[in-house]
Parts: sequence; C-alpha cells; structure tokens
Amino acid sequence: MAEIQFSGVEKDILQELMNIGFGQAAADLAQVIDLSIELSVPDIQLFKACDLQEHIGTEVESDREFSLVEQYFLGKFKGIALLVFPAKAGKQLVSLFGLQGQATSPSERLELLEKEAMIEVGNILIGACVGKITELLNDVVIYSPPRVMIQNVRNSTLPKNLFEPSSMAISMKTVFHFEQQEISGQLFLIANQESITWLKSALHAFMEQYE
Amino acid sequence: MAMITLLIVDDSPIARQILKKCLPKESNFTIIEAADGQEALEKYRQYRPEITFMDMTMPVMDGFQAIAEIKQIDPQAIIIAATADVQQKARQRIIELGALMHLAKPVNPKAVSDALAKAQQALQEQT
Repeated sequence: MAEIQFSGVEKDILQELMNIGFGQAAADLAQVIDLSIELSVPDIQLFKACDLQEHIGTEVESDREFSLVEQYFLGKFKGIALLVFPAKAGKQLVSLFGLQGQATSPSERLELLEKEAMIEVGNILIGACVGKITELLNDVVIYSPPRVMIQNVRNSTLPKNLFEPSSMAISMKTVFHFEQQEISGQLFLIANQESITWLKSALHAFMEQYE
Repeated sequence: MAMITLLIVDDSPIARQILKKCLPKESNFTIIEAADGQEALEKYRQYRPEITFMDMTMPVMDGFQAIAEIKQIDPQAIIIAATADVQQKARQRIIELGALMHLAKPVNPKAVSDALAKAQQALQEQT
C-alpha cells in the first residue's frame, strides 16, 4: 500500500488541533479531580500500522508494566485512543477520585476501583480530546466502551479490522503530568489510513477560514 | 489610529497565523513573532511591543515563565494569554502573573477584537 506523506504545514495544523483538544480534555478532568494538569507540546508521527509495538515501545519504558485504557472512536476520524499510565498509578487515581474509602473489601475490590478510576480518566480525556478535534474538523464520532488492560505496552497491537497491517497510521501523542502528584501519563490517538486521507483535506478546510 | 506593535508568541506557526487572521482588518499593527518564551523575551527587549499575545504550552520556555520575566522587564507590559490550556487554575495563574486576560484557543475575530479593545483601554490608562 502506498505510503502517505504529511506535509510540515499539515503536521503543524494537526499539532495545534491536538493541543486545543487536549487542553479542553485537561480542563474537563481538572474540574473533576481539582488538580492542575501540566501539558506538553503534542507530537505527531506517521508509521506503518504493523510497527505499532515498535512505535509505542520507543515512547514508553518498555520493560515496565503499564495500565492501558483503550477506546475506539469511529467517524470519518477513525482509530484508537490509548491512554498509558504506569501500573502503580491506579492507586493514586483511586485516591484522586476519592474512591479509596470504598475499598473496604479484599484486594480485588481495590483492583476494580483502580480500573474504574482509569476508565473514568480515559472517558474524560479521550472523549474531550477526540470530541474537540472532531468538532473543529466538522466530524462526529461514536465511541466504543473503554477497556482497561494491565500489561507490557509492547504487547499492544492495532485491531486488523481498523488497521490493515501494511497500511499507514498516524499517532498524535501528548504527555501530561498531574500537579503535585507523581503521576504522568501519555495519550496516543492513532488514526487509520482511511482517516489520514480524510484528515488531510479536513485540515486544509479548517485553515481555509484563516487564509 | 497610531501604529501599535504586537508581539505574537506561539510555538505553532498555525496558531500565529490564526491569530493574525483574527486581527481587526482596519487596525494598524506592526507584528513581531516569537516561537517560544525565550525568543519572546529577546523580542520584547528589542521591540518593546505595546501588546503581547502569549501561548502557555511551549518548548524552551513556557508562557508562564515568559509572562513572569516580561513583567520583570516591564511591570506595565500588557499581555494577553492565548492558550489551549483552559483549566481554571491555569487561568488564575495567568492573571496572578499579571496578564491582562486569557483567550481560549482557537481564537476568533470577536474574541481578539474585544481583547485588543481592553488592551488599548489599559494602554490609555497608563499614559
């Protein structure tokens, strides 16, 4: 399959939209947990769908266990969002949401609360970020329910029904850090090749109003 | 109307372009640009702009530090934050650092025009 190129301008537009999208997402989450979230400048990369493990592996410490929230978004902008936290972050997120008082029962209960906290963070960050980007690009997406997995991120693969292995994918990554907490995470939005083609024209349409 | 020098600080050339396109067309601006907080300080010292638009999330030096340092150089500096960081605490911090106001990205002509009117009023009050 032919490789798709993204021009410097297209990457700049997408980076700015990701910046706006994640800014909205951080504000929505900050309202819930009453903590500031430090944002980083988003990073945009194109890669072959079959190279996801290598791509993610270079972005995170691959020998550590991570908690991963995975959620699909389906519209003209179509792909998967991966929210990556160190595995130990689950307990801290439970505390941030004030759920720890509910962990009166055995460890499975705490594990469940950790998953619920992760899912809540994922729902807020992914929904607000993808929602804002697609709003700015005049698209509407639907979401799959988020899933939490605790694993070595290197084991991640892209679903073949959305990402044909030889096709291109685009990754938009933001690193974030919770103020006064030792919690950092990474949000990857990975869109498939079909979306990339749409995305290129949508980005130009977005900028036309400013030209 | 007298020429006004604007300093637009943003690491994204797209964000700078959007902001420039949202400026009122009838106004008379000299526009200076900077891609991070460090460059903003250098341009501020060199050009002494009347009004500065400042992004917050930037490499090298972020907007928070840049606002603080510009205010050290010129306590009367008029700075409008234009940022995607719309968290309440970030807004508070921006104002505490001495910025005039906060604009949420993506900016639009009405918001930019209103911000400039407020900035020009502040300029008049200084003279």
